[in-house]
Amino acid sequence: MELLLQTIINGILAAGIYALVASGLALAVGVVGIVNFAHGEFTMIGAFIAYLLFVSTGLDPFLSLGLAALVLFMVGAITYLGLIRPVLAAPELNQMLLTFGLSVALQNIALLVFGADTRVVSTSYQGATLALGGLSFGVPPLLAFALSVVILGALYGFLDRTRLGLAVRAVAQNRLAPGLLGIETQRVYLLAFGLSAALAGVAGVMLSVMLYASPTVGFAYTLKAFAIIVMAGLGNLRGVVPAAITLAMAEALVSTYVPGGGGWVEAVFFLVIFVTLTWRSWRAA
Amino acid sequence: MKKVWMVLLAVLGLAGLALAQTTVRVGVLLPISTVAGKAALNGVQLGVDQVNAGGKVKIELVVVDDGNAPATAVPALTKLMTVDRVDIVIGGLASGVTFALSGPVKQYQPLFLCIGAASSVVEQAFSDYGRFFHYHPWDYHNVAAALEFFKYLYDQGARRVAILYEDGPFGSAGIQTYRQQLERQGYTVQAEPFKSGSGNFTAILTRFKGFRPDILYWIGYDVDALPIAAQTRQVGLEPKLIYGAPPAWPTGFEKNNLSNDVAGMTAWLPSVANNESRRFVNLYRRKFGEVTDEYMAPMGYVIALSLGKALEAAGSTDKDRIAAELAKVQMETPFGPLSFKPSDTGRTRFQGFNQNIWLQFQYLEGSRRPVFPASRAARPLRFPGNY
Amino acid sequence: MILVGLLLLVALVLPGLPLGEWRAFLLDTAQFAFLISALALAWDLLARTGQLSLAHGAFFGLGAYAAALTAPALGTLPALLVGGVVAGASSLFLGLATLRLHGMYFAIATLAFSEVMRTLVLKAPFTGGAIGLPVQPAFGGAFPLGGYYLAVGVLALAAGTSLLVSRSRLHYAMAATRQGEAVARVLGVPVVRVKLLAFMISAFLAGLAGGVYAMKTLFLSPYDAFGLGRAVEALVIPIFGGLYTTTGPLLGGLIIVSLETWLRLRIGEGYLVVYGVILVLTILFLPKGLVSLFRRKGVGHA
Repeated sequence: MELLLQTIINGILAAGIYALVASGLALAVGVVGIVNFAHGEFTMIGAFIAYLLFVSTGLDPFLSLGLAALVLFMVGAITYLGLIRPVLAAPELNQMLLTFGLSVALQNIALLVFGADTRVVSTSYQGATLALGGLSFGVPPLLAFALSVVILGALYGFLDRTRLGLAVRAVAQNRLAPGLLGIETQRVYLLAFGLSAALAGVAGVMLSVMLYASPTVGFAYTLKAFAIIVMAGLGNLRGVVPAAITLAMAEALVSTYVPGGGGWVEAVFFLVIFVTLTWRSWRAA
Repeated sequence: MKKVWMVLLAVLGLAGLALAQTTVRVGVLLPISTVAGKAALNGVQLGVDQVNAGGKVKIELVVVDDGNAPATAVPALTKLMTVDRVDIVIGGLASGVTFALSGPVKQYQPLFLCIGAASSVVEQAFSDYGRFFHYHPWDYHNVAAALEFFKYLYDQGARRVAILYEDGPFGSAGIQTYRQQLERQGYTVQAEPFKSGSGNFTAILTRFKGFRPDILYWIGYDVDALPIAAQTRQVGLEPKLIYGAPPAWPTGFEKNNLSNDVAGMTAWLPSVANNESRRFVNLYRRKFGEVTDEYMAPMGYVIALSLGKALEAAGSTDKDRIAAELAKVQMETPFGPLSFKPSDTGRTRFQGFNQNIWLQFQYLEGSRRPVFPASRAARPLRFPGNY
Repeated sequence: MILVGLLLLVALVLPGLPLGEWRAFLLDTAQFAFLISALALAWDLLARTGQLSLAHGAFFGLGAYAAALTAPALGTLPALLVGGVVAGASSLFLGLATLRLHGMYFAIATLAFSEVMRTLVLKAPFTGGAIGLPVQPAFGGAFPLGGYYLAVGVLALAAGTSLLVSRSRLHYAMAATRQGEAVARVLGVPVVRVKLLAFMISAFLAGLAGGVYAMKTLFLSPYDAFGLGRAVEALVIPIFGGLYTTTGPLLGGLIIVSLETWLRLRIGEGYLVVYGVILVLTILFLPKGLVSLFRRKGVGHA
């Protein structure tokens, strides 16, 4: 019983970071309609900002969250204005090739500048744990989870209660109608894409604490993030959290209860997605 | 008039020297965008500088990226052989890529100085090829070295080993052997695969908790080092030793408190106390402005130096005469003495290093210190460690 | 059409041309370029029905493994056929399951399929697992150019199929399906059959290419054979070259591989930065792909 509880906790904690990476991507895909292959590279930039600040000034990575978010917002905005806006009307496949090219370029610039080395920061709390009646909560995943909840809460609050936020949601639900309603789609796109990159940056900072910083750090999470937002349903920003929890829980259960399950984690993750997608499509018919 | 003659003589003399100097072009085929590949390349260049400075022979390098993939490596080798027309190739870092090279190597027949490729699948692939010099130990050497350490740990009272291995070729290669051999030594073993780089070990480690392992032995990559060290504490696993076997450790890990008491296996450390190693570290720092932790750097350096020696002895650019001299080379290296013998399985004829180059270290007070075997230990092993 | 024929002709006579010292290197590079172009052509065939597949890396891998495992018993050509058939059969399963998925949903479902397949091959007892699988060269190594001509053959088959399809009634059925399935159905297009047929032809060709690839690299590992990188390349090339055409993926594949190889040799470290920038610039300035260059001048139309 205790093992089951612990497993559920492990799953929920792991879902925090998934949800954070995926929410950023969901903004880009759901609102702007851009399949952004470079999202992982935005995450990577966030991780390197935290790492470089830590190495040069000893700043705790969690304190660089704000700066990383700001820098990445700018990176996102510049990317949007310089590269995305010109191809907004282009076919989806063209947009994908564009962001793929950007992803390759950014990753390899990082490789040139920093090398392929895996770099780690050190904080006092990386291995710290909170024990609660036989259950243990790792401090960094707990922090990351709490932060994800706060940030996503703020994001949803913004989307639900502000005029601009409502505009973003309107665009997410129907990319044609808002223009008719007098909503400035261009500004909404710019904001959404910037926010998307900022969220990636925040996730990157957390990855630098929990994992490492390297040119390829964003890849694995972005791949899963794509899967999560599709499972949630494109444009359904709220569905991201339940989808992330479902998948993280499936992973945790498999690696805890199936002997040799660690090797099946990826397969189970994607199998759950495959089955959900196809089952849903047939049920809808 | 006399002056003119003198000048002429001097010129002729210089020309004679230049003629006597053997110049040879050597192809280098490495994954230069990876950490290990870059280190290996630096090492080779450093060694070549030293050989050329000796003045007796001259090595020119032609460097090609093998892209760490068969589809890039095969044409790259072909280019080295047919366009650059080299007779000697230094390369073969990753096992899969090296295996893919076995076909074209046999076709073009170069003298192949292999820097990595520990998998015995590669040994089999090159078993009938006479110009194959393999410097790195084979995987069974790695297993033997680790098992010796485990035997020592058994004597210290360790009984249960939990193995975490990444499910790629690196982690899976020796896993069955490890299991059997550890059980033969008297250990109880539980082994779990994982996906390298996923960063999520809490579930597997939670599962291990019921097993209460004395040793947590993980076989993966540098990206896994910190998550494993951190999450072992987070779930409260409390093993007596965390023992890792990645090809490289992350930058900055030694400064992290979580690395304390973590043990690992490597072929070389910059702090290794022998003359060749000190010399290498100094030269490397002078040329590249930093100290490297990667053992592939001195490995590349050793390959270049041994090739230089063979060239000098052969006094010719003929690859078979060079190979014959290389087979006779005996030299001191940062890893200890090097000479070529048939491999333990008898499959290949020229095997450089064996299990003796491996040493066990422990992160103690912010740096890696050799702790086993006793003959090379700088410190006693801290066992049980505090995690 | 003329351009396609010309390219294939060059591929055919390339080994006989006086290429000097670069000959062997060119032939090796060309062989890989042909296979990846064939894969891109196969991908494009499916894309014509509006399906964006990320499973082509997996079809390539399945074909490679199936051919490698059966070649010792069956011989080279039958084994390659088995590879194609295995890939085609798996696509039938995948196609049936994903019949109602579109766009990103379809893409992620095929990505999921691909990841699951990789794990299965990794865990299966007869594939050599993570350590990898040694492969026999084509025809037991009896003909030095055997592998090369197999690659030319697969490329010709892929290009021929692509041309044939674009000239058949299937072409209109596919285009109609892509532009809107409901409308297509009203027009009397058997949408399900068209989609499945396109999927199977496409996967069969991808599997063939995979088999020849295995016989060239002589070694397979799940990470290489099922790499996501190859699935992405299969989609990058047609977009780069020009979608829904034969010339586009063919020319795009040859140019992308040559470009990458050339950059690697010229620049070395960091060459992929330039590669990425070129992709970005292509989309910004040549949104219809390379073929639009030819179209404008009215040369070649395929």
